[in-house]
Order: sequence, then C-alpha cells, then structure tokens
Amino acid sequence: MTALLDITDLKVTFNTRYGQVTALDGVSLHVNAGETLGVVGESGCGKSITALATMGLIPMPPGRIAGGSIRLAGEELVGASPARMRAMRGADIAMIFQEPMTSLNPVFTVGDQIAEAIMLHQKVSADRAFKDAVALLDRVGIPSPADRARDYPHQLSGGMRQRVMIAMAVSCRPKVLIADEPTTALDVTVQAQIFDLLNEIQRDFGAAIVLITHDMGAISEMADRVAVMYAGRIIEEATADDVLDFPQHPYARGLIDCIPALGREEHALKEIPGVVPPLHLLGAGCAFAERCEHANDRCRQEKPLLVNHDHHPAACHAVEEGRI
Amino acid sequence: MTDTPDYKAESPAREAWRMFRRNVPALVGVVILSFIVLATLYGTFFYAGDPYNVVWAPHERPGVTPEFPLGTDYLGRDILAGMLTGGGPTLAVGAAAAAITMVIGITLGSLAGFYGGWVDNLLMRITEFFQVLPALLFAMVLVTLFSPSLWTIAIAIGVVSWPQTARLTRAEFLRIKELEYVTAARAIGARNKRIIWKVILPNAMPPLIVSATLTIGIAILFEAGLSFLGLGDPNVMSWGLMIGANRDYILDAWWPVTFPGLAIFFTVFAVSLIGDGLNDAFNPKLRER
Repeated sequence: MTALLDITDLKVTFNTRYGQVTALDGVSLHVNAGETLGVVGESGCGKSITALATMGLIPMPPGRIAGGSIRLAGEELVGASPARMRAMRGADIAMIFQEPMTSLNPVFTVGDQIAEAIMLHQKVSADRAFKDAVALLDRVGIPSPADRARDYPHQLSGGMRQRVMIAMAVSCRPKVLIADEPTTALDVTVQAQIFDLLNEIQRDFGAAIVLITHDMGAISEMADRVAVMYAGRIIEEATADDVLDFPQHPYARGLIDCIPALGREEHALKEIPGVVPPLHLLGAGCAFAERCEHANDRCRQEKPLLVNHDHHPAACHAVEEGRI
Repeated sequence: MTDTPDYKAESPAREAWRMFRRNVPALVGVVILSFIVLATLYGTFFYAGDPYNVVWAPHERPGVTPEFPLGTDYLGRDILAGMLTGGGPTLAVGAAAAAITMVIGITLGSLAGFYGGWVDNLLMRITEFFQVLPALLFAMVLVTLFSPSLWTIAIAIGVVSWPQTARLTRAEFLRIKELEYVTAARAIGARNKRIIWKVILPNAMPPLIVSATLTIGIAILFEAGLSFLGLGDPNVMSWGLMIGANRDYILDAWWPVTFPGLAIFFTVFAVSLIGDGLNDAFNPKLRER
C-alpha cells in the first residue's frame, strides 16, 4: 500500500545573507491514513520548514525546493500549479499553527472565519456554512457554540482559540492534518485536552496527522511513529515505543534523557550541551558531532546515512560501529 | 469574560455603531458636522441672499445691522449669505478629494506592500516622484492647466495627496502580511485577492480611517488655499474664496476672514473627532467584553 503522504528526499534551500543554506537536506517521510507521525527536534532543525513545504507555503524567494518529491495520495505537490495547490490546501491537507493567539484574523468573528474556510472549498450558501461552522465548534468541544461563533478571537482563551483552529482545519475533512506544535503556547492541562481532541478527530475523520513538536511527552501520548530531525535531516525513525524505549542516535537519547520523570531522584535535569549549529556553518561531517560525546574523526568528516541497525534506522557512525 | 444575559448576535456594523454611540467626542463631532452640512444644504431657505450682490456699506461690523448678522465684506457683500452658499462646494471638494486620495493611495499601497519585489519598487518610485513635487505648487499647475472647476480642484488635491496614504497602506501591509493569520489564511486555500481584501486590508483600516478623515481636513484646507491664491473656481463661492478675497483688509476688518476660517476649523475638527470615534469603534480590541 502506498502511503497517503509520501515525502521523498526533499531538499529545500534558502538564499540568505550568508549565501545559500540548505534547510532540508534529503528528508523522507511517509504517513498512512489514520496514522500519527511525530516529528521531533529542537528549534531550528527544519520541522516547521517540512510542514510549510508540504503545504506549499515556503516563501519563494528566498526559499526554493531544490529537489525531491511530496506526494499526497499519489499526486505530486512539488511543482504543482498554484491554483491546484490552493484547491488542495484546506481541502485535502490542512494545518494547525503554533500560536492560536495570532493565527486567527482579529477583525472577524470565529464563526465567520470557519464559514469562510468552508465556502472556499464547497459550494454552499453563507447560512449553511455558518451553521456548519457552529456544528464544528460544537464538535471540537466549545460550549454554547452558537454564541461563541459570534465572538471575536480576542474574546476567547488560548485553548478555545486552538479548538477553533482545529475546527477550521478539519472543516473540509482533510486527508492529512499537519499540527505544528499545536500545544506549545498552552497550559499543560489544556494541552492534554487538545491531544484528546486531536485523537478523537482522527478517529472520526480518519485523517493522517503529522504532529510537529519538541515535546517528547506529546509524542508518547499521540504518535504511532516518530521521525527525529536534526539540522535539516532525519536522523532516526521508528515506532514511537521503539524511539522512546530504545533510542539509538545520541541526539535522540539526549532528547529522551531530558524528560523529567516523577519519582526519579535527580539533582539536575539532563541537557544536551550546545545548540543546533547555524545552517551556513554545517561542515562535511555529522551535524551533531560538535555536541556529541561519542564523536570521532569519522563523525567529523563523513555524513552518516539513515540506515537500519539492530533495532531501527538511525543516522550515526557510533551506532553503526557498535560504539554505543 | 462573562456572558451578559441578553447576549445576542450582532452584526459587526451594528456593534461598531453601538460603540460609536457611546463615544462622546465622536458624537460632538457628528453634531457639529451635521449642523454645518444642514446649514450649507438648507440654510438658504431660511436666510435668502445673494452672496455676490453688494447689499450694504462695506465693512459693516457683525451684530450692528439686523439684516446682516455677520456683517459685510470689503465690497459690502453679505457674509452670512456667503458662508451658507460657500459651504457646499467647500465640503464637496474636501470629500471628493479625500475619496480620490484614498482610492489611489490604498490601491497602490496595498499592491506594493503585498507583492513586494519589482512591483513594490516600481510603485514606490512613482510615489516618491509625486512626493518630491511641492504639493501646493503642483496642485496650482494642475488647476491652471485645466480650467479651474470643482472637479479639477478635487482631482488636483487628490493627485498631490495620495502618496502619504500609499506609504501608510504599504507599511501596514508589510507589517500585517508577516503575521501568522495571513499564513493561516493561505493554509486554508485563500487566494491573493481574498487575502488582500479580506484579511490584510480590514486589519490595516484603523490608521487608514484616521488618515482618511485627516485627508478630508487637509483637502478642505487645500481648497481654501487654492481659492485664497485666486486659483479656485471664480464662479463658485467657497469659504476659501471669501478668505482669499478679504485677506488684504484683515487689519481693518477681522470678521470677513474669521467667520469662514472658523467654519473651516470646525469642519476639520468635527471630521477628526468622527475619525477617532470610527477608529475606536472598528477596533474590536477596544470593545468591552
């Protein structure tokens, strides 16, 4: 069976004042219907660029899709006409943004905004669309939806706004839903509610979800499979349980060690030293080498490939050589 | 956030009107402007008089002769009659010039700000070309090239004052187009036209509404200035024409220039108050919950 969303060897470059940098360097991902893929990594590792590239929303210029393919249900999106992309966005593939505070238009009521999204893709009357919008607000768990539909975004709390965003995203029953850090800006208790809601929505609508996050807790709660990204590459990919229980790549191990656990005696939280290197300073070797305690000369000179090891694929010379 | 018990659906326009009604300065502006507009429209019903006729001795002080409450000018013409007749053309030119300014400025500014790149470069160079021309001088050239009439004056004022509006619109577009809700609108499949008109422009409106009201004020002043210099339509009485005609005698008689001047002042003032009120009313964040 072919995957619903299949990204192969995607390469995205940006022209910056440091010259051309490669933001995504051969990213391959796939998601099947009804499945949730978690994409994890620190800020700046290319998660959001992957999402925007899939939506066809990379600002060009300065961005450019330099190679690879993105297929949605068999249809190639790289190089698709702008009109075709527009028709797909919102209808076949939708996105939930990080900041519910700023991703709703402040001058229109939330009901009107959802109705707009419906009318963009379906030939329905404005009244019908507004009724559908109210039904969607009800579906995403907003109390007294008919009244809230006439509220402006600033009158709603962050959690409510994210529910509105979800209602808007699923308004046309997209096949793929990309959630770009949907809970980063929310309280922990609200986070759990939003995850529950996403799970329910997925059951009801059968959508594939790509969950972009840096929160391993979110991964354990939501994801079926996980891809770990670092500096524009995927460095490890496996089922969520495998990655959480048997992380291979030192970076993945680091991410998991960073999760504080209740009942575990620790004086200080573990951290990964350093930050993701600026993309224009990436050398020939493994991008993680500078921060890795297992790095040797080979790591600094030769980029590791994502190949299968004992357990699951990881891009690391140390794992390959059995040093860790 | 509490639900008021009578919470009912309200259209945005109705809600804006409800907010506007509570804004005392804005209502004062409406009252002043209504008074001025009604006076210029219907004043001559109650106070008939030809502003061009010499009817009395020159420079009669206001309040001395009951037939001419505001006195007479240097030729002995009735000032109140001139005020009532001259208001209409003044207001019409101001409104028309502001409308022309806003249409040109918003169209070019939004295209430049939204599309950026060479479109922006081209439009902004054109804008700068108009901006470096001395506005009054250029308007004078336009008015003298085409015979002065209310329309040519309105167009001349519009042509010299759109660059500010264009730059303001462009700046707002540059700021707003980077915001997340614009990306979110793209992500639901909205096309550029919709994003410009329904997403960015409504959010750019508050400063543009204020700028539009200021433009009405400036246009009225501009018309007065052109008339003052003798470039107005000589066949149409206007407040500016009255000031211009009487300016030489200001040291002998203050009233022929002061009353039209006050009329211009109150008109511009009222329009500004209304503009501020509109700005507050259309800004959802300032509405109480």
